[in-house]
Amino acid sequence: MHALIINGSPRVKQFSNTDKILEKFTAGLRECGCSVEVYEISVRNDWEKIREAFKENDNIIIALPLYVECVPGLLMEFLEGLAPKDENTRLSFILQSGFAEGAQLRCGENYLRLLAGQLGCKYGGTLVKGDNFGIRFAEGKERDKITEPYRKMGQIFAQNGDFFSDECRKFTGPEIFPLPLRLFLKLLFKTVQRKNFQKVATKWGCTKPLDYKPYKEK
Amino acid sequence: MVLIINTTSNSNMSEILKGLLNQKKTDFDVIDTADMNISHCMGCGHCWLKNPGTCVINDDYAGIMQKIITADQLWVISDTALGFLNHKGKNVFDRILPILCIYLEFRGDQMRHILRYDKRTDIGIIYQGEANRNYLQQWLDRCTDNLDSKSLGAYPVAELKEAAKCMH
Ligand SMILES: Cc1cc2nc3c(=O)[nH]c(=O)nc-3n(C[C@H](O)[C@H](O)[C@H](O)COP(=O)(O)O)c2cc1C
Repeated sequence: MHALIINGSPRVKQFSNTDKILEKFTAGLRECGCSVEVYEISVRNDWEKIREAFKENDNIIIALPLYVECVPGLLMEFLEGLAPKDENTRLSFILQSGFAEGAQLRCGENYLRLLAGQLGCKYGGTLVKGDNFGIRFAEGKERDKITEPYRKMGQIFAQNGDFFSDECRKFTGPEIFPLPLRLFLKLLFKTVQRKNFQKVATKWGCTKPLDYKPYKEK
Repeated sequence: MVLIINTTSNSNMSEILKGLLNQKKTDFDVIDTADMNISHCMGCGHCWLKNPGTCVINDDYAGIMQKIITADQLWVISDTALGFLNHKGKNVFDRILPILCIYLEFRGDQMRHILRYDKRTDIGIIYQGEANRNYLQQWLDRCTDNLDSKSLGAYPVAELKEAAKCMH
């Protein structure tokens, strides 16, 4: 099997969480004998080349971050220039996001199902998982802990050719967090997490409080 | 104040709305962005972690952001593509990110970002071209949940007058 993989994140590769996820996912694919070619839509100069690859390939995965509940504007612009295909092409998706609960990604997933049809392709399902905001800020083992599970998903895709299996469905985790966990996280958000965000901000050279209001409210 | 952002090159719609809203004596502001420069969001994260609330991209969206945070309603007029808003319409939504802080809370049973400003801006969509209306409505509900505001609905251009009735 050969797979064309398009990273739909507007973020440059170096900082893209999707890219780190794809590192593991494609490793899984390769381990199971699947060859891959990967492109980034953040490189606008490559768009013609990627559109050509979209035309040539019949097994395509678009991996993307959820942006305001749907497809990032830049990816939308790229997609608008694609020539529609036919049912011989299978289009699958890896949808990942910042918020952690499965329910956060369903609206985006619903669009991707529609999108496959809009592009004339057969829908190969969407691998759905949130809680990926921190990849960019994690390194080494800490980062691997978040991204490593995607290797298994790559292996499964190499076998099945789609994301419809139970294992892929379970990969999402809980749709909504149970109340005790929510209460615990609420506390965490107000304390440890705020401190951690402030630490990162200081490293980035931020001199203002993170809830600073630069615009006048009248 | 009702803020209308027309991302299409159909300025006729802006004119019709201005007429209707003047009749109703509604306080409004129409921005035609066809000749403006509005980039996509590149997800750099600076508006959350480096220069909180300010987008690094120095284009025409800065003026729009100032207006959004004082508007009672925001209406985005957009062309469509692939059953959804086209990228120009979507970019207006993606670039709204600095209105949220990075801090999280639970609202209802889901995680949300804490709003940076006190104002809550309800949002409506007017779309020109083929789109999946059900999906747009569902999507707008989610967007406005994130902004702690209400959806005003998604209207095809043919229902421009119905949309105008909800503008106040
Ligand atoms: C403009 C913008 C909008 C976003 N909207 C959402 C959202 O609606 N829900 C969510 O869970 N995460 C959202 N995120 C978070 C990203 O999906 C998340 O950080 C992702 O891991 C980024 O991947 P990337 O680095 O490959 O772009 C948004 C991020 C940005 C920059």
